[in-house]
Amino acid sequence: MRSYQLIRPYFIENSQRIILGILCLLIVDALQLFIPRFIKWAVDDLTSLNIDLWKLGGYAGYIMAVAVLIALLRYVWRRCLIGMSRRVEEGLRNQLFNHIQSLSPAYFDHTRTGDLMAHATNDITHVRMAVGMGMVALTDAVFLGAAAAGFMFYINVKLTIFALLPMPLIAFSARFFSRRMHRKYQEVQAAFAEMTETVRERLAGIRIVKTYNLEDESARKLQEMSSAYIQRNLALVRITGSFYPMMIFFTNLALVIVIFLGGRQAVCGDITTGDFVAFINYLNLMTWPMMALGWVTNLLQRGAASLDRINVILKTRPEIQEQPQALPLGSVKGALVFENVAFAYGPAGPEVVSKVDFKIPAGGSLGIVGPPGSGKTSLLRLIPRLYDIRGGNISLDGRPLREIPLADLRRAIGFVPQEPFLFSGTIQDNITLATTTVDPERLRQALEKARLTDTIAALPAGLDTIVGEKGVVLSGGQKQRIALARALFHDARILLLDDPISQVDVETGAAIIRHLQEFSGQKTIFMVSHRLSAVRHADWIMVMEKGVVTDSGTHEILMSRDGYYSRTYQLQQLEEEFNGHRQHGF
Amino acid sequence: MATDSTAFSEEKLDKRHDIRLLRRLLPYALQYRFHFLIAILLVSVIILLELSIPYLTKITIDRYIVPRITAHRNSQGDAGPAKTRLYHADLSDPAAARIAARYPALFSPEGDSAVIAYADLAKLAPQDLAELRSRDLTGILRMAALLLILVCCNFAFVFVQAMLIEFIGQRMMHHLRVDLFTHIQNLPLTFFTRHPVGRLVTRVTNDIQNMHEMFTSVVSFVFQDLFLVAGITVLLLSIDFKLACICLLLLPLVVLTAYRFAEIARGAFRTLQIKIAEINTRFSETIQGIHVIQLFRHETENLRTFAGLNHEHYLTGMKQVRVFAVFMPLIELLASAALALVIYFGGGSVMEHTITLGALTAFISYMRMFFRPIRDIAEKFNILQNAMASAERIFLILDTPSRADASGPAVLRDKAEPIRELSFEQVKFSYPSGEPVLKDLCFTLRAGETLAIVGPTGAGKTSLINLIVRFYDPTQGRIMLNGSDIRTYSAAAVRERIALVPQDPFLFSGTIQDNIFTGKEKPSPLFEQAVLDAANCHDFIERLPAGIHTALNAGGDSLSSGERQLLSIARAFAKNPDLIILDEATSYIDSVSEQKIQAALNNLLADRTAIIIAHRLSTARTADRILALYKGRIIEEGSHEELMKKEGFYYRLNCMDR
Repeated sequence: MRSYQLIRPYFIENSQRIILGILCLLIVDALQLFIPRFIKWAVDDLTSLNIDLWKLGGYAGYIMAVAVLIALLRYVWRRCLIGMSRRVEEGLRNQLFNHIQSLSPAYFDHTRTGDLMAHATNDITHVRMAVGMGMVALTDAVFLGAAAAGFMFYINVKLTIFALLPMPLIAFSARFFSRRMHRKYQEVQAAFAEMTETVRERLAGIRIVKTYNLEDESARKLQEMSSAYIQRNLALVRITGSFYPMMIFFTNLALVIVIFLGGRQAVCGDITTGDFVAFINYLNLMTWPMMALGWVTNLLQRGAASLDRINVILKTRPEIQEQPQALPLGSVKGALVFENVAFAYGPAGPEVVSKVDFKIPAGGSLGIVGPPGSGKTSLLRLIPRLYDIRGGNISLDGRPLREIPLADLRRAIGFVPQEPFLFSGTIQDNITLATTTVDPERLRQALEKARLTDTIAALPAGLDTIVGEKGVVLSGGQKQRIALARALFHDARILLLDDPISQVDVETGAAIIRHLQEFSGQKTIFMVSHRLSAVRHADWIMVMEKGVVTDSGTHEILMSRDGYYSRTYQLQQLEEEFNGHRQHGF
Repeated sequence: MATDSTAFSEEKLDKRHDIRLLRRLLPYALQYRFHFLIAILLVSVIILLELSIPYLTKITIDRYIVPRITAHRNSQGDAGPAKTRLYHADLSDPAAARIAARYPALFSPEGDSAVIAYADLAKLAPQDLAELRSRDLTGILRMAALLLILVCCNFAFVFVQAMLIEFIGQRMMHHLRVDLFTHIQNLPLTFFTRHPVGRLVTRVTNDIQNMHEMFTSVVSFVFQDLFLVAGITVLLLSIDFKLACICLLLLPLVVLTAYRFAEIARGAFRTLQIKIAEINTRFSETIQGIHVIQLFRHETENLRTFAGLNHEHYLTGMKQVRVFAVFMPLIELLASAALALVIYFGGGSVMEHTITLGALTAFISYMRMFFRPIRDIAEKFNILQNAMASAERIFLILDTPSRADASGPAVLRDKAEPIRELSFEQVKFSYPSGEPVLKDLCFTLRAGETLAIVGPTGAGKTSLINLIVRFYDPTQGRIMLNGSDIRTYSAAAVRERIALVPQDPFLFSGTIQDNIFTGKEKPSPLFEQAVLDAANCHDFIERLPAGIHTALNAGGDSLSSGERQLLSIARAFAKNPDLIILDEATSYIDSVSEQKIQAALNNLLADRTAIIIAHRLSTARTADRILALYKGRIIEEGSHEELMKKEGFYYRLNCMDR
């Protein structure tokens, strides 16, 4: 019920529409009950033949008048109530999206994207259904059911009591069945998920499947999964397939009672023939509310469960918090100090960065090298506080990072991630991130420094080229250079570059590095690279292995030692030399 | 106008297209033709039952409650209305005669029966009335009993029918799913590089699910609802032709409304789906790019874009709400109009005695049944649309030829004799994108030899392996197996002789045993023991709770990377191949596992032919021969000693790797 607070504002905001909608709904229900009355009068008059065409026309006219009124009011309530549920949907989705954006990256390490997506679509749809149709059906069921019963009681108490005997059975079995249905439905979903996983896994491992001639075995496995899925589905249909016919059966049972008892009463003159016919009509009116009652409870329960799940996400606080007393960061110089820094993903995880100590003055540059998985990327992520350190201290211009407002800190940092991430949109959008007004000169310079000018000139749509989802139309190198241009465009004092030229060809890479060197003295630069020529001109170079700094110095110092750096450097030189040699040789 | 006509013809084309798609489903349906026949039979019975319920009500009213009028005349003087409904009491029945005699003022004799005004029946004492109409009462009892039986039968049949339809649908989709999966599996590897796994999975699961939904709802629509509507029409016409015709005057209006609605609603549904897809894309992009968004403080801007999308979705949703808000009440209005028509014209006919009161009630009930399926029409249209799109995507894949259909010798040898010699003859290879990867490769590998391949990334090492296991075929040149072109064998025959140990071990969910012993038969305990021993797997498997029967979850991430390597080696052992292809792992593994893996590999390679992609020079050193690959060419070839003497590429690699 606490989760209900989430949608309360929408109810308050739309209270007038809701009241109007419910009013219309109630009037519609009331009017609907009149139609069997008209039928009764007509039938009674026809029984005694005490009627002429004018009077008949009058009844028909009444029915039409009421029907038109019902149609108009239905239009109003549908727009008000169902429309309002769409409003809730939109608002909740925005809220969820905004909140998810504010969560720390660590949250996404242990939450699957698919689950979050399910919340954004299925759960919100469930809430919408519960708020819209759920509300309508509930009102309908309660009011229409009660009113129809009232009218029936008015005609004949005894007959009503007997005719309504199967009704509680409907409501009860609806509840009973909807619960089992829910369970069976979940089983079906689980079987479906399992089957999906089998297919995914076999197709992802297609190389192994093919080399080990496992095609038949895979097909058999799928067949098995698919058969299990069928079994679950049939089990579900055993419930649904008996549920709906059973509802109809109960109504028909009531009809049998009415025919038997009511027919008797009509013969004996306890009720009129018109009453008898009207009774059958009321019974038809009752069926829907009774069935709806079961369906509604299901709908509302599901909606409430979904709302709870959404609420859990919205209640999750970002792990990275700024201290309330954090003072705004004035102008940034960019001097960074790491003191005995340790870091791990998750509280129980092994340390991926340990005992890292270094100082880098404002405007200085630091190269970080090391084999894959040595903690270089993790180290870079600590500076903009994508993750918080486990031990030690990092300070910027003498202030611990935690005491700087998050927005100020991140504004001071430009970042080029290892895997360049592009949004679907144009190249320009991706570089400027749609800052409302774009200084064309600044954009030009950023493009130039990232060596993109020619590349973009070669594209038919230039900067307005749509990059497609995750930048599928561009090559890896182009994507990297766009990510670089993005960081350069958002001119920041500190530049974090995580292997920024790994997919760029050698010549372009070298040109980019030359451009970056021009920032010396103006920007503090951290450069992680597997291509050592990219870091050789850095003021200081650190070698990281298994999370610790194993060596550091300038290029010359490191080359003079026999270690990872000098060996890798020579190897890469050899490769490059062969490259040149080959090109000349053939 | 011109644009209109083209739009129309496109629509038509679409329809023909849909029919073609449906026809392809026919073979799957034909397998279950008997089930279908029974289902149709059941549906017919069900419809008859459903239609008979209002009809029984009609009979009850006409025969027992308000008996038909046989004659009409003025009752008692001139005070009453011109016509009066009369009840005939059969005087041959002693009870009736007694009662008639008791109320001489109300009954007037007429031949061997006495008539009483229907309205005057109320003036009789209740017991007398019950006695007078005892035949009617037993009639009602009989009718109620009959109705009860019908109602029970209806329940049973509907249930059986629902189960049957579900069974047929599920089985059909099962066959289609297995066919599709088998087909995808047999497609060449190029197909997988073009189509992301996620998309293929959607084809096999969700798209087939869509088609199943279409099957159940469309079949139920065609068979049940259409039959029902037709049945009602026939029944109405037979009860009273004139009144039925008057009611059916509304039919064109109903059809037109439903059609217009289906059209508009389909547009709204489609836009809604597109919008939700855009929202999902934005959502997943945001989650995947969360680092970039937070680092560049892009949150506000991003939210604005998202909110814009979300609002468009809302507006489309509202459009849909409006469409429904107009249509649903409109259909109800038409239903009420039909009711009004029945009351006016039907009532008129009752007064003229051309139809009975019961018939009028039956008309009212049938009209209600008539309008029920029409309300669902839009939803069904939408499902159909969805399913057609899915069907198209599925058949697109099924139409992609698998390698078996591609050009090549008509008869492939499906057994290959033990590998004695494998040679590359001027093999050239480029990926479909056109970039050349391997150029003029020539070398020969004899049984028992170990060949190491060294070279920087992008030199073509993996492509070379891909050619041997026949993931791809050479663009030019030949690969010879025991002196004959490898393409004369089926891919399976070649692979039968080879075991691949990939760089990143790939494990399937299932038990460890399933993962190692991939064949159909269970391994003998002795063989199992031998494999586990040789692959050094004993120690860690014993530590697991269920030993070799421990279930691994997807990707085997409950094991360490070293343990996964060992399982991958054990799998190669279990296959007992002639040729081992080993892509050495580059990732860091703790030194203890490293030793175990090395020992297991040594066992595996002993007395076998092997090709190793060596990332460590220590591995290359132990090989009989080394190929140095550079940019798709062999730049050096020979034993370790020979190459060291040459003082070329390999030599310099070794100098650095001390």
